[in-house]
Amino acid sequence: MAEEATFKCLRCGHEFKMPFDPKGPMVERACPKCLSNSVRRMKEEKK
Amino acid sequence: MRRMSSSIVQGHFIRPTDHETPKTIGFIQCVGSRSEKRGNRYCSNICCMNTIKDSVLLKDHYPDIDIKVFYMDIRAFGKAFEDLFRRSKEAGVKYIRGLPGEVVEDPKTKNLIISVENTTTGEVEQHELDMLVLSVGVLPRQDGATIQKLLTLSRTADGFFMESHPKLKPVDAPTKGVFFAGCAEFPKDVKDSVTQAGAASARAEIILNADRIKVEAITSMVDKDMCTACEICYRACPYKCIEVDREKKMPAEIIEAACAGCGTCGAECPFGAVTMRHFTDDQIISQIEAILEEDPEEKTVVFACNWCSYQGADFAGISRLQYPPNQRIIRTMCSGRVDEEFVLYAFKLGAPIVLVSGCHFADCHYIDANRWTQKRVEKLWDKLEKMGIRPERLQLEWISAAEGQKFAKVMRELEEMRKKVTKEEIEFTKKALKDLKFKKEKRLAKLTADRAKAEKAAV
Repeated sequence: MAEEATFKCLRCGHEFKMPFDPKGPMVERACPKCLSNSVRRMKEEKK
Repeated sequence: MRRMSSSIVQGHFIRPTDHETPKTIGFIQCVGSRSEKRGNRYCSNICCMNTIKDSVLLKDHYPDIDIKVFYMDIRAFGKAFEDLFRRSKEAGVKYIRGLPGEVVEDPKTKNLIISVENTTTGEVEQHELDMLVLSVGVLPRQDGATIQKLLTLSRTADGFFMESHPKLKPVDAPTKGVFFAGCAEFPKDVKDSVTQAGAASARAEIILNADRIKVEAITSMVDKDMCTACEICYRACPYKCIEVDREKKMPAEIIEAACAGCGTCGAECPFGAVTMRHFTDDQIISQIEAILEEDPEEKTVVFACNWCSYQGADFAGISRLQYPPNQRIIRTMCSGRVDEEFVLYAFKLGAPIVLVSGCHFADCHYIDANRWTQKRVEKLWDKLEKMGIRPERLQLEWISAAEGQKFAKVMRELEEMRKKVTKEEIEFTKKALKDLKFKKEKRLAKLTADRAKAEKAAV
């Protein structure tokens, strides 16, 4: 089951959540706001 | 609920439980199809027409039979399909918009009672049926993964085989000499399957009738002295056309007849041992140097793949779309060829913004080479951030050959981003990358040092 992860658009700066499965097949990502593909997964800081 | 084929006995349609001809039949469409939550997301393509055809046949044989079709929407898109749909309605088949939520069997009559919300009237209805037929979605073969591995094919997320290109090579597999026909590629009806089979056999004949087969001129090559047999190139190769043995320390060897020339192996090789004919590291580095020789802070370096992004740029041009002239394009066969050191070198020479662009995932001409691009760019974002360089300065975009407008839009957006990159930022980047050495240089230095050491030991 894919979990949700936080992504940041490196074009418009929009942050959003979407399903992310590190073991699953790679998917094409796009920012829901500006449709850019420069979408970076934000790694959660280790506590 | 039964398979319809098992209900046809000696030309008669019967209910298998009591061998009587049913008086009321219900068809439920999209069972296991077009659902994000259950079953498959895709439309199975053939079910609507199959149901319509069956309903017309049943009405021809048994004019008094009561037929109800429960559906989300009817997709009658093919030649004469709409006419058949109209004929079915004229024959008295009732189409009820709504999918049943519950089916209960009457223990006495063995009839089925279904509850459905008719979305046209907004009312919940109950229907008693002698028989219910489910239009179950078409599934890809379960052994698809084995065939995929054997023939180095690519599959969609739904499990069907992916064609080399959806528009330009719709029957070719990415592996040369493999062609698709029928539901291997996606659910389709008999007519489409026969059409595709005809095209596939014609494509195969081209190869079979040729005296000589031309192989790709743009292939990878390995410098065996530089190779450490780490097998990274083998893992990255979408065609698995590299022979290498890590345990036996056997350096990589390219099977040139099978190499399609994406260059992903070259970009992934950590020792600079693999490069590509006509797109060598030196050639690409020379292009970067030429672009950034004068006023680098005013340029945006764009790496564009040959098949999609570069064609998208071309399309933007022939469509006379306006976008700022500051972009300088470097063409590679695939975005998978764009080595991280090309990007870093461009930043080192003062590029404010670098864009890596390629085909959309579904359009990749080299099976899945552009997934490696995405992985590499993601790693580079982390790397840049660690060095204190804004990751935003490296952009990634998937642009197809038909997306000239998208290309122009991206170029306009990048120009706005370029203007915001300060001179101080560029200077800082140059300093941060001043010690950048190409992996080839590093490997050569190591080899030279090892040789000197060995000579010294021999003396």
